[in-house]
Amino acid sequence: MNGIALRSARGTQLSLVCAALLGLHSSVLTRADEAADGKSAFAACSACHSVDGSKRLGPSLNGIVGRKAGSVADFNYSPAMKRSSIVWDAPTLDKFLANPQQEVPGTRMPFSGLPDANKRAQIEAYLATLK
Amino acid sequence: MAKVLPKRTVVMIGGGFTSALTARQLMPKGVDVVVLERGVDRSQAAADEIPSQRDELRWALHHENAQNIATETYTVRYNSSETALPARRLEAFIPGEGVGGAADHWNGQSWRWAEYDPTLRTRLQSRYGSLPNDLLVQDWGVTYAELEPYHDLWEKLFGIAGKAGNLRGQIQVGGNPFEAPRQNEYPQPPLEVLEAGIIFDAASKKLGYKPFPLPAANSPFEYTNPDGMQLAQCQYCGHCERFICEANAKASPQLLLYPWLARHRNFELRTQVHAVGIDYDKDNKFVSGVRYIDLITGEEFLQPADVVVLAAFTMSNTKLLLISGIGTPYDPQSRRGVVGKNFCHQTMSGVNVFFQDRWINPFLAAGSSQNVVDEWNNDNFDHSGLGFQGGGYIYSNVTNGRPISSRLLPTGTPRWGSAWKKANADWYAHAFAITVHGSCYGHPENYLSLDPTYRDAFGLPLVRINFDFRENELKMSQFLTQKAAELARAAGATIVGPPTPRTSPYDVRVYQTTHITGGTPMGADPTTSVVSPHLQHWDARNLFVVGASVYPQNSGYNPTGPLGALALRLGDDLGSYIERPRQL
Repeated sequence: MNGIALRSARGTQLSLVCAALLGLHSSVLTRADEAADGKSAFAACSACHSVDGSKRLGPSLNGIVGRKAGSVADFNYSPAMKRSSIVWDAPTLDKFLANPQQEVPGTRMPFSGLPDANKRAQIEAYLATLK
Repeated sequence: MAKVLPKRTVVMIGGGFTSALTARQLMPKGVDVVVLERGVDRSQAAADEIPSQRDELRWALHHENAQNIATETYTVRYNSSETALPARRLEAFIPGEGVGGAADHWNGQSWRWAEYDPTLRTRLQSRYGSLPNDLLVQDWGVTYAELEPYHDLWEKLFGIAGKAGNLRGQIQVGGNPFEAPRQNEYPQPPLEVLEAGIIFDAASKKLGYKPFPLPAANSPFEYTNPDGMQLAQCQYCGHCERFICEANAKASPQLLLYPWLARHRNFELRTQVHAVGIDYDKDNKFVSGVRYIDLITGEEFLQPADVVVLAAFTMSNTKLLLISGIGTPYDPQSRRGVVGKNFCHQTMSGVNVFFQDRWINPFLAAGSSQNVVDEWNNDNFDHSGLGFQGGGYIYSNVTNGRPISSRLLPTGTPRWGSAWKKANADWYAHAFAITVHGSCYGHPENYLSLDPTYRDAFGLPLVRINFDFRENELKMSQFLTQKAAELARAAGATIVGPPTPRTSPYDVRVYQTTHITGGTPMGADPTTSVVSPHLQHWDARNLFVVGASVYPQNSGYNPTGPLGALALRLGDDLGSYIERPRQL
């Protein structure tokens, strides 16, 4: 059971180490590989965000790519998020996930951000698969 | 007339921490469980959403996540010759109300107690000979070794973060050398060490102590527990105790247990129902159901059941037994009877330290992001000739930097005006407390009973708290606070505040901890305990009591860890009892 705790926190780093040992570079990983890794990296988000349309502490993230920020009906967004005029795609998600408060000052999402660019890219690839 | 409902297998009173853990063990067996909770589910509402979650006045000072004392408070007196009066401003502890109970607004400090704690009387007698007549220390009737697998399971369910100090008997560098032996490491590594922890660790090592990070239920990483329930990463926002975590990062029943239980067809949670009594057949030593008021309609119901589990807040467990006439009430004069005895609280004290050149920044902290030394806790040291028993852990106490109540100022600072403002600006980010989290052992005059005069909103007598800090705790606090002061001086602070040991009289306006224990102690001897070592009531074989009310004395450690273990073990015991009802 101990492994469960550490998998999500460290699993990504571990797989990058393995990739390095095998002489691979992250750029040869396909978008599908990234999305698969992204599903595990998404553990950083899934305590608060569902992907099946159900409301949790945060809005559901199915269909987020291509959607206007702050537009899920019935979700109580911050005024900052509603006003942001962001449309979610890989670049906007990347900026937001890197530092949510800097990108949307006043967002109510209590998350300080993901400094690891690879992890962000994986999550973005995974989110793009959710319809 | 109460409306009689269809009979259920298990009815639990209280939708908090212990009932959820007990119910969890019964789910795979398909046992039918109903939990009765007087409060509401506060999930995904003002209490756990930003910005309202940050309202210190509402949640921390007005206690909106806690028991509403306009409905039900306690009367208080220091000894049985006085007339008790109702506490109209209650701050000494914060009882829970609502799904999750007091564990929705806890700090997350997640200790196991010492290996000797469940056999404390035996331990102290073998070490020091006969004990003083007024030191009501008792054995639990169960050993730590029996509870260890349940500790392990609870820590995995709650994703506890820490560093093992004693792994299967091997002392581990960086952990607590006084820790009870554990089979496994903590499920998660410790939280970040704060500046105060760095200062505290250095001072501790200078004095020869072995500091370590406090075991925490504030999740340092995202975490998935064995039930597939998830925690998010702690943001160190300092809104843990008195608050419901807005980041889903503080392990709590309403986050990890109740949503999982709700997926089971054999589980039902009924909220806004207030238990007012348990139907009891004294001749046959049997309970037949729970009476409650529906708080929406005002109707009274009788919920018949094969088994009743009393899992309300500490004083409510004693209250429901006393108003239902179950068991013999404790009498301090004759020292006979058991219900209400061994009531204990916590003995907090400490010293404030101020560092001109260190950036403490209390605004970045978690409920358990502290560093600790355990050398002076309970019986971790020789008490020969000291004239008291017990002790406490000493720690770098930074849990938050909230604007109303977290303002440490040097002694002598004016209470208002520009000098007060300047001192706030100078010291807000440069101070912390070195705190003693002290034990409280049973005393014949510390007990609970029903108040003869004052009643709650339902017309039931209030619980009367007869409590003061007695000689044992006062001496302990003097001794421990000096140890904290030595650490403060060793830390090289610019200003060391005056050491402030706990003094008598007990003051309900001053927060100690919500670690209120006793009233329904567990034990192997029915003349000194209310429930058996399996938490089965001695006078009603299908009634079980769980919660901090079963502790015969309060340790220097926080009570949550062993409560988790006891509640999970009760779940397994109940499964066995339901298959074959008997004295366990």
